[in-house]
Amino acid sequence: MENTSDNWKFKGNKELNSASAITVRGALNALMSNLNASDERAAIPLGHGDPSAFPCFRTTTVADDAICDSVRSAKFNSYSPTVGILPARRAVADYLSQDLPYKLSPDDVYLTLGCTQAIEVILTVLSSPGANILLPRPGFPYYEARAAFCNLEVRHFDLLPEKGWEVDFDSVEALADKNTVAMVIINPGNPCGSVYSYEHLEKVAKMAKKLGIIVIADEVYDHLAFGSKPFVPMGVFGSSVPVVTLGSISKRWIVPGWRLGWLVTNDPNGILRKSGIVDCIIAFLNVSADPVTFIQGALPQILEKTKEDFFSKIKTILRQAADICYEKIKEIPCIECPQKPEGSMFVMVKLDTSLLDGIDNDMDFCLSLASEESVIVLPGICVGLRNWLRITFAIEPASLEDGLRRIKSFYERHSKKK
Amino acid sequence: MENGEKNFNVRGNEKLIGSSDTAIRGVLALLKDNVDQSMQKPMIVLGHGDPTSFSGFRTTQVAEEAVIEALKSAQYNCYAPTVGLLSARGAVAEYLSRDLPYKLSSTNVHITSGCAHAIEIILMVLARPGANILLPKPGFPYYDARAEFSEIEIRHYDLISDRGWEINLDQVEALADDNTAAMVVINPGNPCGSVYSYQHLEQVAMTAQLLGIPIIADEVYDHLTFGSNPFVPMGVFASLAPVFTLGSISKRWLAPGWRLGWLAICDPARNFQGNTIDDCIKGCFNIVSGPPTFIQGAIPQILENTREEFFSDINAKLKECAGIAYSKIQEIPWLTCPLKPEGSMFLMVRLNLGMFEDVADDMDFCLKLAREEALILLPGFVMGMKNWLRITFAAELSALQDGIGRIKSFCVRHSLAAAH
Repeated sequence: MENTSDNWKFKGNKELNSASAITVRGALNALMSNLNASDERAAIPLGHGDPSAFPCFRTTTVADDAICDSVRSAKFNSYSPTVGILPARRAVADYLSQDLPYKLSPDDVYLTLGCTQAIEVILTVLSSPGANILLPRPGFPYYEARAAFCNLEVRHFDLLPEKGWEVDFDSVEALADKNTVAMVIINPGNPCGSVYSYEHLEKVAKMAKKLGIIVIADEVYDHLAFGSKPFVPMGVFGSSVPVVTLGSISKRWIVPGWRLGWLVTNDPNGILRKSGIVDCIIAFLNVSADPVTFIQGALPQILEKTKEDFFSKIKTILRQAADICYEKIKEIPCIECPQKPEGSMFVMVKLDTSLLDGIDNDMDFCLSLASEESVIVLPGICVGLRNWLRITFAIEPASLEDGLRRIKSFYERHSKKK
Repeated sequence: MENGEKNFNVRGNEKLIGSSDTAIRGVLALLKDNVDQSMQKPMIVLGHGDPTSFSGFRTTQVAEEAVIEALKSAQYNCYAPTVGLLSARGAVAEYLSRDLPYKLSSTNVHITSGCAHAIEIILMVLARPGANILLPKPGFPYYDARAEFSEIEIRHYDLISDRGWEINLDQVEALADDNTAAMVVINPGNPCGSVYSYQHLEQVAMTAQLLGIPIIADEVYDHLTFGSNPFVPMGVFASLAPVFTLGSISKRWLAPGWRLGWLAICDPARNFQGNTIDDCIKGCFNIVSGPPTFIQGAIPQILENTREEFFSDINAKLKECAGIAYSKIQEIPWLTCPLKPEGSMFLMVRLNLGMFEDVADDMDFCLKLAREEALILLPGFVMGMKNWLRITFAAELSALQDGIGRIKSFCVRHSLAAAH
C-alpha cells in the first residue's frame, strides 16, 4: 500500500522549541553564524565560559593522570549506581566539607552529568502545579529554559549593579508568595563576576528562612574568587535554611567537557529528607542519564591530589585578565562597567547606544561586532538585561587585549559624529 | 517573624513522589539486600545486562587507548556541540551505514549519554498531549518509566513465546490509532534473547507503514548474535516506515559505564521532511546535558579500529554461555525456556509454579533464591511477564554453571512433595 508523507503522523513536542530558544548556546550560535568568513583574523570568543582551548588554561596533569589510571584499571567500565559510586561521593563530601562548619556525608551527594544536569534535577524535583521559583536578573538563562520545560513559573528578583550586584531584598520579598519554593543564588556570579560577602549571604539565608523557601546555591565557579572577598559557600548557613548546592569540576579544573558535577543537600536539620525532596531526587536520577563511571572513579584522585599551585595559577591568570578587561573597558566610552569583576569568568557592562550611530540595542551591537570585528560578546538580553553586554575575560590575556582593542575600533567607527 | 521550628514551603514533584521502585535497578537492589550475609557462598548476579564484573568480559584495548589519546590531546576538554561532536556523528553514521542499503550522514546522527539517554530524548520529542506509544511485552521497563514521565500513554503488544518471541502484529494493528506516536522494537531482544528474521522485520515495517507510525528500533545489542539468524538492522526497511535507531557502545564494546550512545534518524524516503522533528531534537539537546567530549572524540578510532577478533571472541563466549545455560535449564523441570537464545545477553524462563510447595510468584522465588542461594535473577513482572524470570547468561562460565546449579538445588528443596 502506498503511503504519502501526508499520512506520517509525527508532530513534535512544541514545548521544546520555545524552551531552548533562550539559551546562551542558541544566542552564540546565531552570533557565530554572523562572522565574516573572509576576515583573516582569528575570531575572539568573549561570549562563553569555556577557556579550555587556551594553553595557559590547560587542566592539571593530576586530573589527566587520574582519568588514565581509572580507564586502564578496567574497574570502572560497569554501570554506576544511580546516585554515583561511593568513593566519588565520599570524595565530594570531604572536598566540600573543608569549607563548612559541619561534615557532609556521602549520602548528601548526588553525582550528575555536569552542573547542567544538577540544575535539571533540582528544577524538576521542585516543579508542581502552581509552584514558582525566584531567579536572579541578570542570571543564567539555562534556569529559565529548563523551568519553562518543567512548567515551573519563574519570577525574577533584581541584582543591584550599584551595590556590587547584590540581591535586592525588597524585590525578593515583593515577589515571594505561598507558592514560592526556592530562590537561586549564583555565587561567584555569572554573569556579573561578583563575589558575595559572608554578611550578604547571611542576609540571603535570613530572607529565605523568613519566607520559608530553600536556597539553590549555584557554585559552579566555586573558589574562582580572586579579588578582596574570599569564596564563602552558601552551605555554611545550611542549619538555618536548607541549601541545595550545585557544582562541578568544569570551571575550577577547566574541564567542562568532562561532564562531572554534583547536587549536594546542605541540610543538617533533615528538612529536605522529611519533606520527601530527597526521595524525589533519587527517583528522578533513576530515570535520567548518568555521569561516566570511570570519570567518577578518577574523582577522588582529582579532588584530593590536585596541587594548590594549579589553583593559584588559574586564579592569577583570571585576576590578570579581569584587570586588563576592566582597564580597557574604561577606554571605551559606549560601555561602562559598574563593578570590577572579582570572580567567575565574566563581567557585565552597560551599553550606551546614544553614543552610537546605527546601533539600536545590544543584539544589534553584538551582531555587527561579530561581522565587522570577529569578536563574540553576549548580548545582555540573553541574561535578562537589555542593552547590557556580558564579556568573558577568561581567555588568554593577549587575545583578550586584542579583542578589547577591536571593540574600541568598532566604537570609534560607529561613534556619533559631533 | 520568628518561628521555633520553621516550616519550609518545600514539596516535591508529584510525578516523582511514590514513583514505584519497579525499575530493574531498584528490584535488583532489593534482592541483593535479601542475601544472607552470613553465608559462605559468594553472591552470583545473573540479573543485569552488564558482564563487565566478570573477567573475560573486558573492553578492547583499542577503545581504552583511543579514549586516553583523546584525553591527552587536550583538544576535547571543551563543551561539545549539543547534538554531538561532528567527527563522532560522522563515525557513527559510517558505522551504521555498513549494514544499510543507503548512506546515513552525520546530520542524521545525534550522540547521547548511552542508549538510555537516546530513549529519553526520543520520547521527549514524541510526547504531545494525548499521544500513545506501543511497547513490547515482555520489554525493557525504562521505556515505561520514561513514557510515564513524559505523559505518553503506554499500550503493550505481546511477543509470542512459542513463535520465537515474534511480535503479535495483529495486536499491534488493533492497538494503534491516530494518536499513536511510534512502536518500539527491541532486536536483538531484551529480555528474550531473540533475533528476528529478515522476513519478520520486513513484516513489522510493512505494518508500521500501514499504520503510518515510525519505529523506534532499540538495537543496543546490535551484532551480539550467535544463532541462525544474523543481525538485520531495522533501518534496512526505513523506506517503508521511518526508523529511529537507538544504540551505543555499551554492549558490543562491554563498556556500559562509558555512557556513549546514539540516536539515528533513518528516513531515506524523507517521510519526515517538512515535519518539525529535526528542530525538536535540536531543541531537546539544548536543554539536556551531553556525554563527555573526549569520549566522543575517541569514537572514530573505536568504531573503525576495533579488530574483528574482539567481536568474534565475545560472540563465541556468549554462544557458549547461552548454549550451556539453555541445556542446563532443560534439566530443570520447574522451569520452561521456550527459546534457545540466539542473541543479546538474556533468556526468559517460565516458572511452573504448580510444581512448587511454597513459592507464590516470581518475586517470591527471586527473594527466597537470593536469601538461600545468594543468587540474583530478575523476576519477570519487572518486564511485564509475571511468573517468568529473566536470566543473564553473559557471565563467566563457572559462575553461570554454579548459578544454574543453585537454581536446581533451590527448586528441589522447594518442590511439591511427590504424591503421584
